[in-house]
Order: sequence, then C-alpha cells, then structure tokens
Amino acid sequence: MIQCKDLTEEVSDYLDGDLPLRKRMGLFFHLLICRCCRNYLQQFRSTIKAVKVFRPKEKESVDTKALAQKLHALNCKDD
Amino acid sequence: MKINSNDMDEKTLITKLIKGDESAFELIVSNYHNLMLSVARAIVGEAFADEVVQDAWISAIKALPKFEGRSSLKTWLLHIVSNGAKSRVRRENRMVSLDDGWQSISSDKFDNAGHRLDDVLSWDEATPEALLANEQLQAAIEKTFQELPPLQRAALTMYDMEGLKMEEVCNILDISASNARVLLHRARTGLHQCIDKFQDK
Repeated sequence: MIQCKDLTEEVSDYLDGDLPLRKRMGLFFHLLICRCCRNYLQQFRSTIKAVKVFRPKEKESVDTKALAQKLHALNCKDD
Repeated sequence: MKINSNDMDEKTLITKLIKGDESAFELIVSNYHNLMLSVARAIVGEAFADEVVQDAWISAIKALPKFEGRSSLKTWLLHIVSNGAKSRVRRENRMVSLDDGWQSISSDKFDNAGHRLDDVLSWDEATPEALLANEQLQAAIEKTFQELPPLQRAALTMYDMEGLKMEEVCNILDISASNARVLLHRARTGLHQCIDKFQDK
C-alpha cells in the first residue's frame, strides 16, 4: 500500500516517468485519494520548472572574460 | 554587442572560433564554463576543479578543427572535462566524498504508517515567473543550490537545466543510473524545501 512518505521518495522518478508500471499505478491511485500528495507533486513540478527558468549558477572563482581572452590569444599563437 | 547563442548555430560558432573571432570565444566560455565547472567539481572536488576546467578548455580549443559534430558541442566539451577530471582523480590517488550532507525529509512529518501529519497546501504563487519575481526567493534558491553537494549540483544542472539524457549524465559523472536518480531527487528536494519555506511566510 502506497503512503504519503513513499510519494515524497518517488516523486522525481514518477515525474520523469522512470518507474515500473506497478509502482506508477500505485502512486497514481494514491494521488487520486490524497490531496496533500497532489499538492506536493504540484509543488515539486513547480520547483523543477523554476530551476529550469532561473538556472542557478556555481560559485565562480575565475574571471570568464579573462579566460576567453586567454584562450583566444592561445588560439592565435598556434596559427 | 553580445551575440546570443540562439542566433548562431554550432557550425558557424566553430568556424568563427577557428578563425579566431574574439566574440565567439566570449560566447563559448560564457555558455559552457559554468556547466564544465559543475562537472569538474562533482568529479574532482573544489580544489582542483578550476585547473581541470582550464586544461579542458585548452585541449578543446586545440582539438576544435578535429571536432566532427557527431555529438553536440556541449556534450563534447563535457566529455573532455569529465575525462580530465577523472584522470586527475587517479593521479591524485584520492577518494573524494562529494555527496555529504544529505538530509532527507524529516520523518516527523509522517506517522508510523507513513501518512502525512501536516496538511500540504498548494503554493499561492506557483508559476516559475511568479516564484522568481521574488528577489529574496531567487537569492535563497541560488544559495541553496550552491550549498548542495557537488554531485547533486552537477546532476541537477545537466538533467534539469541543460536537458541532457540520463544516460549522458551517468557517462559523464561515471555513476550508475540509480545513483544519478538519487542525486537528482535529493537536489530537487533541497530546492523544494527552500521554496516551501518562503511560501510559509
């Protein structure tokens, strides 16, 4: 029997379509009867979309513009 | 003027790079440096990542005339940095633990049978645009992301932001599919918790 806790653990695989049919059906039926989990699923979906749109970046420690110039200079020297 | 990547296909970009067009160099570095850094940090750790990425850039630029376009430029660059990072790990002969600090959703949110104890409400402003209109939230997302373990960041960056296939993510990071899925799920869960805290306010 699928519980709310299972959904929080499987929600990524559920959204990515990476679950065996049996598990998928189990979660699907749980979602039909559980409003909390439907909300949770929706929040998770929004999270993924927000990350896709916002694209948080790594902390940088080098100046990319200077790196581009360095590579450009290197390329010219090789010619 | 800044060139947008959408305005230039890869072939044109590569031709420009080989010809030594300076703006093409700026474009390629600004498009891919962050992603390469993420992969290097996930494999070799923070300390050596910058060096590994710089070396990867130099090899890539030298190898550009031989680039045959069998994969995308992005995947090609990622394989170069991933190979460089893996050989660096071998050379340093050290094991790096890059997935510490995972906190699963606390079990006090559920009863013994696994039912939720609290109500989960829908978020008021759930579209990405609405979420990101909140600057404080945006800063919090960035901070949460940067504090994730590097392997989780790399999995999330490649799969959710860059749209790479799971198989590619596994190849590049040299991990199993089940491992990659766990990393991705943990990263998403961390960010979900961050956004959820803002909804409470």
